[in-house]
Amino acid sequence: MHTLELTVNGQTCRVEVGLKTTLLEVLRDKLYITSPKVGCNTGDCGTCSVLLDGVLVRSCITNALSVQGKSVTTLEGITEPGDIHPLQKAFHEHYGSQCGFCTPGMILASKALLDVNPSPTRDEVKQALSGNLCRCTGYVKIIDSVLAAADEMKS
Amino acid sequence: MSKVIGQRVTRYDGMSHVTGETKFVDDQVVPGTLTVKALRSPVSKGKIKNLDISAAAKMPGVAGIITAADVPCNAFGLVPDQPVLVSEDIRYRGEAIAAVAAVDEDAAMEALEKIGLDIQEQQAVLDPLESMKEGAPQVRPEGNLQMWDGHDYRQVNLGDVDQAFEQADEIVESTHLHPSVEHAPMEPICSLAVPHAGPKLTVYTVSQALYFHLGMLCGILQMEPGSVQCKQWKAKTGSAWRHNTGYADVNYIGGTVGGGFGGKNDIMADHVAALLALKTGRPCKWRWTRAEDLLYSTFRGAWHITIKDAVTKQGRIIGRQMTSIRDAGAYASLNPYVVEKHCYLGAGPYFIPNVRVRGYCVYTNKPPASSMRGFGITPAAFATEVQLDKIADRLGMDPWEVRLTNAFRKGEYTPTKRVLNSVAMIEVLQNLAAKAGVELPGHLKAMASTQERG
Amino acid sequence: MAEGEFYRAASPREAAGLLAQHGGAARVLAGGTDLMVAVNKRKFKPQVLIYLGDAGMSGISQEGDALLIGAATPLNEILASPLVADKAPLLATAIKQMASPAIRNAGTIGGNLANASPAADTATPLLVLGASLKLVGAKGEREVPLAEFFTGPGQSVLAADEIIAQVKVPAQSAEAKWAYRKVGKRKAQSLSVVSVAVYCPLSGGKVSGVAIALGAVAPTPLLATEAAGLLNGKALDEATIAAAAKAAAEATSPIDDARGTAWYRKRASEAVVKQLLTELAG
Ligand SMILES: Cc1cc2nc3c(=O)[nH]c(=O)nc-3n(C[C@H](O)[C@H](O)[C@H](O)COP(=O)(O)OP(=O)(O)OC[C@H]3O[C@@H](n4cnc5c(N)ncnc54)[C@H](O)[C@@H]3O)c2cc1C
Ligand code: FES
Ligand code: FES
Repeated sequence: MHTLELTVNGQTCRVEVGLKTTLLEVLRDKLYITSPKVGCNTGDCGTCSVLLDGVLVRSCITNALSVQGKSVTTLEGITEPGDIHPLQKAFHEHYGSQCGFCTPGMILASKALLDVNPSPTRDEVKQALSGNLCRCTGYVKIIDSVLAAADEMKS
Repeated sequence: MSKVIGQRVTRYDGMSHVTGETKFVDDQVVPGTLTVKALRSPVSKGKIKNLDISAAAKMPGVAGIITAADVPCNAFGLVPDQPVLVSEDIRYRGEAIAAVAAVDEDAAMEALEKIGLDIQEQQAVLDPLESMKEGAPQVRPEGNLQMWDGHDYRQVNLGDVDQAFEQADEIVESTHLHPSVEHAPMEPICSLAVPHAGPKLTVYTVSQALYFHLGMLCGILQMEPGSVQCKQWKAKTGSAWRHNTGYADVNYIGGTVGGGFGGKNDIMADHVAALLALKTGRPCKWRWTRAEDLLYSTFRGAWHITIKDAVTKQGRIIGRQMTSIRDAGAYASLNPYVVEKHCYLGAGPYFIPNVRVRGYCVYTNKPPASSMRGFGITPAAFATEVQLDKIADRLGMDPWEVRLTNAFRKGEYTPTKRVLNSVAMIEVLQNLAAKAGVELPGHLKAMASTQERG
Repeated sequence: MAEGEFYRAASPREAAGLLAQHGGAARVLAGGTDLMVAVNKRKFKPQVLIYLGDAGMSGISQEGDALLIGAATPLNEILASPLVADKAPLLATAIKQMASPAIRNAGTIGGNLANASPAADTATPLLVLGASLKLVGAKGEREVPLAEFFTGPGQSVLAADEIIAQVKVPAQSAEAKWAYRKVGKRKAQSLSVVSVAVYCPLSGGKVSGVAIALGAVAPTPLLATEAAGLLNGKALDEATIAAAAKAAAEATSPIDDARGTAWYRKRASEAVVKQLLTELAG
């Protein structure tokens, strides 16, 4: 076992991990942060998406030991008591979430986009979310939600 | 103005979805939970000659292993024909034979490798058309075709089809192949069973049909010995989920489903997780891998559909003969119901006064198919719509006109003589044309569902 | 359970030294987007991992007429580089169609090449641009043309104690024409069923030094040298293009897999080469 130190949602943590352990396992099984989901464990679906030093990655195929000293943000980390991120508000109000299973990954992928591109085109939103699968919504409402959040954040 | 109709309604669970607070089955954290993995059949058909779990049971980290011998009532489903774990006859590749609960995935997987399994492989039948033939390898002891009141098909008859063909100006025939389709919800199959003092359980489920499955699960577990007789339950088709004793033993928690689309209408993991929880006395979670989910969860079964329509020069369909074959896979699951609904609505949203739809539910050595959005109606609609284009082609007519000419009108009836008092097919088509930028000729624009057919 | 060692190499030389020290037991880890999929599918059980993320192998610079790309540079960093956009737009175009943002944020160019998949999407543009690799071993380093790097599916000339440290990409000539197309099951998150890169330097209306590479249609990414030979010194007319496309398809030896059949791949190879050359001629 190896000791891994990382910061998760602003909190420094120390956990014991093996060579095969993934960041997703650290978050879900050791820290009980369950918004990143196990949709495939092969990098294909995007339900496990998190931000690593602000950059979107797949936690299911991120080796835990490779994130030593880094900072991880999950959906829990962008919510504050009584206060939600404009993206969360927009996904709620514009029906960007149905069953909710893809939603944490979708919102984080959207945040990664808006952090570097506050006024994306519809096509840029599609590109940014191209690795996140949703089986319920048909994507239109998700893209609407991201564009609505971008508008709100500008005003 | 209505308070609700035409208004946007806030989702009651929307806020917890967007904050990530929603707890799906896999998100339930119960300390000490064991990981479940199943030994699945490597062959499509065969007989288990020997199953030896003794070495696996001694592996480090293993808390318990179950086989068919551990299942109180090893037959479940709408037509209770499916075993939880195979005792002897393997009917599809991937069918579960044994299941291990261990401290982690590695321990569970290593234990699976130590299970001794000796199978005598047999000739499988994978094609439903082959399976229907005389002398085909037998899929189930009950036969390769589902029976309905002494018939090996379900048939719906309306009017006089033979006469319609005599009166027809044209006879249009077509054959349609509809492949199988996987629901692929983002949430894979998962179950968590937690045992409590006394023979009591809490099961967290991905089920789309809670009461249905609670009944089935109690039947499988025989939770109150004597209160649910396995034999009676098996004999009385349809009563599987209706018995109401024993419920107090199982607390079944669900409703938060990460996408189902009909793919979580069958018990796939709850029974195994529950049995292992009872056997080990510890919480047990069985989460299928994406590969297992794609390969072995239920799916929309494939169809082979032939349609022969009696048509007039004006484009009216006056008679339909339809034969549909459903590839059901190895077990009944919801297949018979799917075939029935297919037959009831084989004519689509069109008024055909003479109809004969025959649906076959054919078993093959493949994972069981089941429901998916529309229960057999979707493939009927697919075949019907392609057929309507063929009819338009043959008569040199506008496909919109063929559809509008045959669309249901108020007071007409379906092949099962269900009279329709509120229909809007014509208006839906007119709207569709407008949205697609198609300018319909005046006489088609003037049509209405409330006009009596001339 | 016994757990192996995890090292964070501080330099390519140190990584190579650790590989040598642990014999066959050690593997290098970059973005993990290939390696961790294999781990999760239980196809690979790591015993010793050497992480390249801190080995100073990331970054893009210019040296004379060539670009030097550190092997551990994430794909998205290459895509965002103005230098690459200017000097090797063909490479950027291919990378843009790989995977999806999250995978490109982690996956590296060195990992893509070292993994040696016939469908590695950086390979076709790099082959036609005449790229070479700096391989660093425990005892020394060597430069290998990419055209000589791949030896089979998942196989390359990398020795057991060697890593790819750097990719050297000759700058595209400003006058040259180029084209790239990837055929996949869908636009994002999908491995190539066929991919084609064409690089076509021009002199006086005639093509010279043209190169065509095809991915996912042979045991390794494939340079279609015979097809390219048919084009050199010629005008790109219909007959020449057809002959070259045919020769390119003949050079392929595809297989059936979950993504496509050999039958389809061969035909698609010919069609795509023809399409791209016709575009360049137009
Ligand atoms: C969902 C998904 C989609 C994908 N789509 C595409 C696609 O469209 N096109 C495509 O080409 N690929 C695709 N890939 C594959 C993968 O992302 C790329 O091959 C990526 O570039 C691999 O880089 P890495 O840094 O993640 O490699 P790693 O996984 O870290 O390593 C891969 C292999 O290379 C070795 N290695 C890594 N770096 C070096 C080095 N510098 N020297 C020597 N050996 C090294 C490792 O030991 C390992 O064997 C996809 C993967 C996923 C999961
Ligand atoms: S769970 Fe990580 S991409 Fe699907
Ligand atoms: S909301 Fe269900 S998968 Fe996206």
